[in-house]
Amino acid sequence: MSFLVGAGPVIPNFGKGSACERSNGWFCTDWLHAHWGDTLQPALVQHLWLSAVAVGIGFAIAFVLALVGFRRRPFDAGIGALADFLYTIPSLALFQLLVPFTGLTVTTVEIALVSYTLLVLYRNMVEGLRGVPADVLEAARGMGMTRAQTFRRVELPLALPAILAGLRIATVSTISVATVAAFVIPKGLGEPIFIALDQNLFKTEILAAGGLAVALALAADGLLVLGQRAATPWSRA
Amino acid sequence: MEPCVTVADAFTPHTFVDAFSFIHDNASFLFQKTGEHLELSFAALGIALLLALPLGLWLGHRHRGLFLAVSVSSLGRALPSVVLIAFGLTILGVGFWNNTAALVVLAVPPILTNAYFAIDGVDPDVVEAARGMGLSERQILLQIELPLGLPLMIAGIRIAAIFVIATATIAAIAGGGGLGEVIVNQASYGLAGVVGASLCVSALALLAALLLSLTLRALTRRPGPVP
Amino acid sequence: MLRRSHAVLLGVALLVGLTVSAAATAAAKPTVTIGTKNFTEQYVLGQLYKQALEAKGYRVHFKGSIGSSELIDTALTSGKINFYPEYTGVIVADLAKQKSPKTAAATYAAAKRFEESRGATLLRATPFYDSDSFGMLTSTAKKLGVKTIGDMKKVKSFTFAGFPECRTRVTCLLGLKQIYGLEQAMFVPLASISVYTLLDQGKTTSGDVFSTDPQLQGSKYTVLIDTKHIFGFQNVAPVVSKSLASAGGSAFAKTVDAVSAKLTLGAMRAMNKAVAIDKQSPASVAGAFLAANHLK
Repeated sequence: MSFLVGAGPVIPNFGKGSACERSNGWFCTDWLHAHWGDTLQPALVQHLWLSAVAVGIGFAIAFVLALVGFRRRPFDAGIGALADFLYTIPSLALFQLLVPFTGLTVTTVEIALVSYTLLVLYRNMVEGLRGVPADVLEAARGMGMTRAQTFRRVELPLALPAILAGLRIATVSTISVATVAAFVIPKGLGEPIFIALDQNLFKTEILAAGGLAVALALAADGLLVLGQRAATPWSRA
Repeated sequence: MEPCVTVADAFTPHTFVDAFSFIHDNASFLFQKTGEHLELSFAALGIALLLALPLGLWLGHRHRGLFLAVSVSSLGRALPSVVLIAFGLTILGVGFWNNTAALVVLAVPPILTNAYFAIDGVDPDVVEAARGMGLSERQILLQIELPLGLPLMIAGIRIAAIFVIATATIAAIAGGGGLGEVIVNQASYGLAGVVGASLCVSALALLAALLLSLTLRALTRRPGPVP
Repeated sequence: MLRRSHAVLLGVALLVGLTVSAAATAAAKPTVTIGTKNFTEQYVLGQLYKQALEAKGYRVHFKGSIGSSELIDTALTSGKINFYPEYTGVIVADLAKQKSPKTAAATYAAAKRFEESRGATLLRATPFYDSDSFGMLTSTAKKLGVKTIGDMKKVKSFTFAGFPECRTRVTCLLGLKQIYGLEQAMFVPLASISVYTLLDQGKTTSGDVFSTDPQLQGSKYTVLIDTKHIFGFQNVAPVVSKSLASAGGSAFAKTVDAVSAKLTLGAMRAMNKAVAIDKQSPASVAGAFLAANHLK
């Protein structure tokens, strides 16, 4: 087979990108058309899922913790400090700590994302529940409500604005932070951005994927504002 | 001076012990990286404070621009640092200012919204009373509203500081140096180095948060000119 | 060979999480699970081998973007993949942790010995090599009057940009300092962004570039000659598990070797350029190349 080594390869014409793509123009609409389906749209859907799961799990955990923390001050201090600490761990480092346990999987990314939602969600929940005026609680007790009833019918509704405000912040931040998920798994809007960084800072891809991440965050924020208004018609914020 | 090259291994409780000995053995190297890290973080926080604090206070005082304060904040939160750094590379080029700019965007939202709500939320009766006593708008803002709004305002700066110090590690993807340089280089420094550097980052962030809390306590203990 | 920071970042730590995939070996032709690392050249290589094998009737699973050398090696040894294109110098220096041999053939032999000691083997190496190189703008090289890396000794101070672990590698910055005595080199660590961006922006004097980078095709950049061979020899050879190699036999090896034999420096640069600059997909570029060379 030695003759094969001698014969040089034929290099065919691979086709060229548009002039805009080749010169790395500011925004090549032709690239966008060509790669919406195979790159951007799947990344957007993955990004949405990564963020939604993180916020959902984070909300559930924060809620349980808040139930404990808002009645017992010592727990509150402990949970608050833990949430503070989790928040200060750089995401790049946290990923590396988790990989030996959970591998290069969605789980690794979700654990990191969830731990970043906890601080805002927990703090807002506790502040909201604590902010219920004492006389309102007194009145509820006077009406013969049990502790569970008071919580469900009085404290929770009154804390709702603060809880939802926390949810908005956590959602927008998570969608933003989820771009670093691409350090671990080739998923989400961070992936096209990292590929573009590797390929001579291809501007169109960075702008398109980055723009989608921002648009997704703002759309989610808008939806939550509408939900907030519907859920708490008595307050305007 | 060059830290020894270790093969990174799986993370065990012993990694923490290794991490501390990494910190100990590479103290001067980490000290230098911490210096770079702080330089970047302080520059970003300083610029963000200069931009966001006066604006937030003024808007809060006028009770105007709620929409502006809230939407600037949402937008700031929505812009991923990775995207900012990537995009900044095409405009500002590689270097200190690109990373600083990305971190400024990160720091502005909490400072701006909290400053706005801190002043906006001051009891209008108190402000009216001060106005009745003949205080100028400037005096009202600085002597009445600012001291009352201080806790919320500092809470915003505290969040921004934690945010910036923890995120400054990302600067390493674009030659920014700082502790992130160790964190992205497990191949050279080992997992112990990654954990060690990350502990340094956490310590810095928590220290900054603590200092701000103490500042707040010191400031609010002082008998202010509250009528 | 690690160009993107998550490759760098995740390093070696991965031990858990790679599950052994049940390979169906009952069929006459074995199933091939190809893995690739996460940068342009690897995407192209993966597609080349995948499509060539598929054309000969092999069933191929494709797992792209596995990250760093250490990581993809774990994927291989744990059976998650049974085939991936690797650089011979990387196997010797980074996986086996041995000193770099003096010739390309010796490097290939050492790499093969290492892989065979642990349940895998190497197929034939490609003619092209992708090694780290000392690159700078041609205008800078002219201004400084340098042709070889040794010439840099006369430059009082300069910066050298590269991926983070370059700092501690003998095949990179450490070699420049220890073997060439370029103590004045100041290192600019980069993860994720390309050295060319810094060179273009005038933010660094020089940097660690790769010989197959499409940017090196023109005359804009100059690579200084590495007279002392610190950068090692980096020909690509497919690493395959022994079970796949024996199940596939000589027909399998012949199919793969025929592809490797056509991968010259010019061919690889052209394909990298088609993907990175002309934005063609790795799959279509690989397909066109195989078709033109009657490998598909």
